[in-house]
Amino acid sequence: MARSNPACAKTEVKHAMSYVSFVKINGNSSTAMKHAIQESLELIGYSIKDQIQRAVIKPNLCYYWDYSTGQTTDPKFIAAMIEVIRERVSPETDISIVESDASAMKCKHAYKMLGYEKISQEYGVRLVNLSEEKSEDLDVVAAGQPFRIKVPNIIRDADLRISVPKIKYTMEEIKITCALKNIFGCNPYPKKFKYHPWLNEAIVALNKAMKFDLCVVDGNVVSGIQPRRLGLAMASTDPVAIDVAAAKIAGVNPRKIPYIEIARKEGLGQDSFVEKGLPLKYFAIRYPRKDVGKKFIGRAYKIAVITGLTKKLGLT
Amino acid sequence: MKKVGLGIVGLGYVGNLHLRHSLRINNANLIAVADLSKSALNKARNMGVKKTYSNYEQLLRDPDIDAIIVALPTHLHLQCAKQAAEAKKHVFLEKPMARNVDEAKEIIKTTQRNSVKLMVGYPLRFNTAFINLKRQIESGMLGHIEVANGTYISSGPFMHRSEGYAPVPVPDWWFRKELTGGGVLIDLGSHLINILRWYFGEITDIKSQLGHHYNLDLEDSAICLAKFDSGTTAVIELGWFSQAYELKIELSGTAGNATAHHVPSSMLSVVTQMLTTGTSRFYWPHLEELRYFITCLTQDVSPSPSGDDGIKDLEAISLAYKNQIRLD
Repeated sequence: MARSNPACAKTEVKHAMSYVSFVKINGNSSTAMKHAIQESLELIGYSIKDQIQRAVIKPNLCYYWDYSTGQTTDPKFIAAMIEVIRERVSPETDISIVESDASAMKCKHAYKMLGYEKISQEYGVRLVNLSEEKSEDLDVVAAGQPFRIKVPNIIRDADLRISVPKIKYTMEEIKITCALKNIFGCNPYPKKFKYHPWLNEAIVALNKAMKFDLCVVDGNVVSGIQPRRLGLAMASTDPVAIDVAAAKIAGVNPRKIPYIEIARKEGLGQDSFVEKGLPLKYFAIRYPRKDVGKKFIGRAYKIAVITGLTKKLGLT
Repeated sequence: MKKVGLGIVGLGYVGNLHLRHSLRINNANLIAVADLSKSALNKARNMGVKKTYSNYEQLLRDPDIDAIIVALPTHLHLQCAKQAAEAKKHVFLEKPMARNVDEAKEIIKTTQRNSVKLMVGYPLRFNTAFINLKRQIESGMLGHIEVANGTYISSGPFMHRSEGYAPVPVPDWWFRKELTGGGVLIDLGSHLINILRWYFGEITDIKSQLGHHYNLDLEDSAICLAKFDSGTTAVIELGWFSQAYELKIELSGTAGNATAHHVPSSMLSVVTQMLTTGTSRFYWPHLEELRYFITCLTQDVSPSPSGDDGIKDLEAISLAYKNQIRLD
């Protein structure tokens, strides 16, 4: 039976003002990433509690393309995150990397192909397929749309939940993916395309059902109109603020991204924030942004999908 | 003239392509399709296919069917092709012909015993740019071709897959060597090895260096060095690792150079081509090879690439797997 889970559903406003840090990663090594993560956490005044027993880290492994394409989280970045946690808490801290099967991707292949099995062996962390984990149903409403969300027990029971997303352009309906969209991947139900008619609301519902403590963006290689080594580590405890920052970096007006606005209204965070570290503009001018032509093609394709032209032509 | 009755077994990516093309060939009559996927069969029915089966053995019993297109996973080629031949159906078999030489030989033996025709699907052989290269070689205008460079690098089975609106994962059989017979070397390598053999004759020696960028049991990159009995040496570069698509052959001869490319069209061009001709230019070679197969059946001519071609390609691939060079 579905129930309300106060531990997961609770939303709280932690700060009068949210902080987002922007740090340059100097190189492509795990050590460089670790230093950048540590600095990004210090800048927002975040300290991992030393009594943590079970931590989960959610990378973005949307498909089988590795970090060099900018589309999935670099396993070196995750390794650096693991070291940061264990140095702060204990070398024995129980850490799990979590991801779920998706419409076009299976976790078991992604973990192997993208180098996560090596990380698991080297650091003694578990690789968890949330689609195969025990979960509990939770009823959540987002923007008036009701959802029954399966909350995996491993996420519910963790005392530290860290999201490590990418900044990417994605489908026209939601424009970019970063912190809030990454939690969509915690939904154990594999055929996620079924949520697409209410994708914006579903993203927010998932974030209401599974509240993460911290978001650290792996922006070392980003995926814009092409991949680029941006060298960015970005951290915040506010997923709305960090998504607003990501949208600005990617050249998308955050007010035109419905799930960010819904998340703000639902109390998941704030759309204004204090910049810490390097200025956001430093990364924004370096992001491989869409030009007018690409934006036109994206909109034309959306119209073709809506009108059924792509189906008629056998393009889908 | 009686139309050739066609059946398609397997409605995955290539099977769907054959389905669309079969409906456009004048002297072919697509009678039935078979697949395990209900939605694939529904889609076929919506396109006008009257008979659909979830079991291909039922399709093979249909007396109106003269020829079968086998577009199944590689490990199922042997069984399906043999059963089709036993049912006296001509066979169009997708490449690679089988997982290994022994399976390919068994397929040929069965088709010969039942006096049915067998063609292996190699669309590059029907691609205008690559046919022109063959003409240039044969005309002598390039002199002796000393070096050939073939490149086929793409996302291979990892291209984004969708079945209508819903994306679908890469089928699990693609990850299992015992079902595929190998990785990119057998999958994309068979295309280039076949066409280079068409240009330069038989392979006398071949070596390979295999890569595993994506930590798979199967190789996702391969570089082969092959010597042909015409004296030409070829470098064959293969990859499943890239989101970009590159398919080309470059020839360097004593009198000149030539290159053939197969390039995906832009989205705008694809839409225009689909609206005007019903198929994208990228897939014209697939349409032409099917048209040619149907013509061979109506004129009682043995098709090429034949089963023997398929075996020779697999022999070269098998030798390349055996002769691996390790670069440290």
